Amino acid sequence: MSDRLTTALARLTEVAGDPDSYAQSWKQRTGGKVVGAFPMNFPAEVAHAAGALPVIIQENREPDTSGRNLLAEFYCGYTRNIADQAAKGRLDHYDGFFLADHCIQLLGAVDVLRFESPGKPLYFGQLETSLGDAWTPDAVKKKMQSFIDEMEAFTGGLITSEALRRSIALFNENRRLLRTLFEARRTGNARFSSAEMQVLVKSSMVMHKAEHTAALREILDAVGEVERDSRIRLHLSGHFCHAPKPELLAAIEECGAIVVDDDLYTGARYISTDVAADIDPVTAIADWYLKRDANFPCPTRVKHATDWEDRLIRSVDTSGAQGVIVLMVKFCEPHMLYYPQLRKQLTERGIPHLLIETEHEGVPVESVRTRVEALLERIRHTQLVSS
Amino acid sequence: MDTAVTDRSNRLSVTKLGGKMVADYWANVFTARERGEKVVWYNGSAVNPFFQAAGLVWCHGEAFSARLAAQHLEQPAQLAAQEYGYVGELCSYARTHLGCAVLTQNAGHANGTGIVGLPEQAELASRLPAPDFFVNAYAGCSTGQQWDDISFRVFGKEVPIFNVSLPFLWGNKPDAGYLIGEEWEQASRYVVGQLHELVRFIETMTGRPFDWDALRQNMAYIKQASQLRREAMALCAHAPTPATFWDWITSIAHINFLPASQELVDYFAAVKAEVEQRLAEGVPAVRDERYRVYFDGFMNWNKLGFLARKFAAHDVAVIAGRYTHQAFWQEPHLIDPENPITGMAQHYLLCPTNHGAKTIKHLVLRDCEQYGVDGIVFHSTRTCRAFTNPQHLIAKAAQRELGIASMFFEGDVADASFYKDEILESRLAAMLEGIDVRRARGGVVPV
Repeated sequence: MSDRLTTALARLTEVAGDPDSYAQSWKQRTGGKVVGAFPMNFPAEVAHAAGALPVIIQENREPDTSGRNLLAEFYCGYTRNIADQAAKGRLDHYDGFFLADHCIQLLGAVDVLRFESPGKPLYFGQLETSLGDAWTPDAVKKKMQSFIDEMEAFTGGLITSEALRRSIALFNENRRLLRTLFEARRTGNARFSSAEMQVLVKSSMVMHKAEHTAALREILDAVGEVERDSRIRLHLSGHFCHAPKPELLAAIEECGAIVVDDDLYTGARYISTDVAADIDPVTAIADWYLKRDANFPCPTRVKHATDWEDRLIRSVDTSGAQGVIVLMVKFCEPHMLYYPQLRKQLTERGIPHLLIETEHEGVPVESVRTRVEALLERIRHTQLVSS
Repeated sequence: MDTAVTDRSNRLSVTKLGGKMVADYWANVFTARERGEKVVWYNGSAVNPFFQAAGLVWCHGEAFSARLAAQHLEQPAQLAAQEYGYVGELCSYARTHLGCAVLTQNAGHANGTGIVGLPEQAELASRLPAPDFFVNAYAGCSTGQQWDDISFRVFGKEVPIFNVSLPFLWGNKPDAGYLIGEEWEQASRYVVGQLHELVRFIETMTGRPFDWDALRQNMAYIKQASQLRREAMALCAHAPTPATFWDWITSIAHINFLPASQELVDYFAAVKAEVEQRLAEGVPAVRDERYRVYFDGFMNWNKLGFLARKFAAHDVAVIAGRYTHQAFWQEPHLIDPENPITGMAQHYLLCPTNHGAKTIKHLVLRDCEQYGVDGIVFHSTRTCRAFTNPQHLIAKAAQRELGIASMFFEGDVADASFYKDEILESRLAAMLEGIDVRRARGGVVPV
C-alpha cells in the first residue's frame, strides 16, 4: 500500500472511529455550527449549503448505562445508544438536530434527546413514506423546502439556490468517487476489506465533504488492483441506520470469505443516488429522495413497484457473490417484516444465505464464526457437487 | 406460571350483551363470501364508517389478531408466521395477522406448511375471507404502513391497496399542542385531502358512487355513542369507581369497528345507565377499592380476564388508561355529522401513539389528576414500540410533577410468551407498599 493511500485511509479511519472529536475540532477550527442529523434520509446538502457541518450521528462504542432506563430494552441498538448518548451529554457538541425519518423507535430516542436537552433546536420534517401516491412528490417537495426554511432559521443565514447547487455538486462528486470504489470491488478488485469500505462511507457521513472528497481522491489515485483469491464471495445485506461493528465484518472474512458487494446503509445504499444538478435544487432534492428508494428499495418505505429482493438478486448476479449474509439490527421492525420476502427469493434462486442479528452490546464472535463457517461449508459442498 | 387469584372484580353486566354484538360482527365477516360481498382488510385508524357507507365488509387486522389472542387461538397463525420467516420480536399483531394471510394463501393447498396442523389452517383460513382490497391508515407506529405493504406482497401484489399517510404530531413549534397549533391544522387539512382520495378509491373498488348520506348517518351514530361512552367514563372519577379500565377494554371493539347504528348508541346508553345505577346504589367495580391506578400500554389480550382479577385481588381499581381514554372517537365535539370528513381526519391523527412525548405526558398526567389515581401501571408491551416509546419519560414526569408512583410489567399484545407473572406480582406489591407508606406520611413521597 502506498504512503499516500495509507495516510489518507488512516485519517478516514480515525474520523470514522471518533466522529465526536472530528466534529468538535471542526467547530473549533471554523466557528461553524454542527448539525446532528439522524439517518437515513435527511438531505445533508441543505445543512452544508447553510455553512454548517452535517454529521450523521453514529452509534458509539460505549456500553449503554444512563440511557438504559429511558428507552425499553426491546428497541434497536442504535436508538438505545442514542438515548444513552443523550443522557450522558455525548451529543452536547451538536448545535441542533434534524431528522426526516418516521421510525417509531428513532422518534422515541429523539424524544429522549428532547427531554435531556430542552431548548436545543430540533426539527423533524417527516418525509412521506408511501412513495407511490399521486400527492407524494408535492408533499415531499414541501418538506424539503421546510428543511431549507428551518436550516436558515437555525444558522441565521440565507440558503441561496446557487449555494445549494454548489453543495449538491460537491456531494454528488463525493458519492461518485465512493461508487467508483464500490464498483471496483463489485467487479473484482479485492484491495479493501469490508471494514475498510465501511470506513470510507462512515467518514463521509461525518466529515466536511470537501475534505473527505480530497482524501478519496488521494486514495483513488494510489489504489491498485488486487485480484480476488479463491475465498467464498459474499454479499452483505441490510443493517439500516448504523454500521455493523468492524469486528463482525472481520470475523466473517476471517472464516474464509470475501465480501464483494453490499446493500448496507453504511455502504452502497448510502451512496446509491445523486441529486440532479440541472434542475431547481429543491425539486432535485425531493426527486433524490424518491429515486433513492427506486434505486435501492428500502423496507422503511412503501412503494409497490419496486422490490428489494429483485435488487438483491441483481446485485448477487453482477458481483458473482456465492452467498448472502443478511445483517439484521435486532428489533428493526421494517427489516423483520421484509426479511421473509428476501428469504423466499434467495431460496427460490438457490442462493445460500444466513441471517445474523446484531446488537449494540458486543459481537458474539465465536457464535458468528460457527454460523458463517457452516454457510461457507454449504457453499463449498454445493460447488463440489455441481462440479 | 400464572398466580391463581380470587375474583374480587365486578365487571359491568352490560358488557356480556356487548360480547354478543362482537361475535355477530365477526360471524358476518366470516360469511361475507357466502353473501357475495366484497371484503376490505384495513389496519390502523377507524376508517370503517367509509366502508360501511360503501356497503363493504371490513376486517381490521389488529382487531382480528386481538380477538384470536383473547380467545387463545393465536398460536397456529403465529407458528405459520414463524415458519414463513417472521422473527419473534416483530409486532405480534402484525405477526399474527400475517400468519393468517399466509394461512389464507395456503388454504386448499395439499402441501401445507409443515408445522401448523391442517385442521388449524382450515379453521382459520376458512374463517377470514381473503381481501378484495387493502386500506392502510396507520398513525403513530411506522410499522403499521409497512405491515400492510407486506400483506400486499404476501398476496402476490395482486390485491389493490390504498395508503392514507397520517403525519406524526411531533410538536416542532412552540404553538404546538393537543388539538392546537399550526401543525395540528396543517396535518388535519392534509389528511382531509387524502380521505377524499380514499372515497374515490372506494368508488373504483365498488364500481358505484359513494353514499355520502350513509357516511353522515354513520358519523351521527358514532358521535352519539362516543358522547355516551365519554360521559360514562367521566363518572369513574368517583371513588369507589363504578367501572374499570377492563370494562372499557371490553367495549373497545364496539367503538372502534362495529357498525355504526342505533344498536351501537343503545349499547353505550346501556353502559352509561349501568354505571349511573351503580353510582346511585354504591356498587363498586372492585370489592374494597383501596388503590386507584392508571394503565399505560397496549392491552395484553391473552390476559384480559386474568389481569382484571389479579388487580382486583390486590384491592386495586384500574380506573383509566391511555389506550382506552385517549383513543377511539374520544373527542366527539370534533365530529360534525353534516360535514364529517374533518372530524374523522382529526380523530385519525389523535391515535394515542401519534404524539410526541410532551403531549402524551400532558394527556396521561391530566387523566391521572382527573381520575384521582395513586399510581401508574406501565405495560411494557414487548413487541409494541409505539406504545412503549415515551413510557419511561412519563413515569419520571408523573413522579416529579404529581408525586405518583409507577411500575412496569412485561407482556405483549398478542404473544403470551412475553408475559411474566412473577414480575407483575412483585412489582405491584412493591408499588402498593410505596403508596401505603406515602399515605402514612400524609402524602409525602418516600425517597
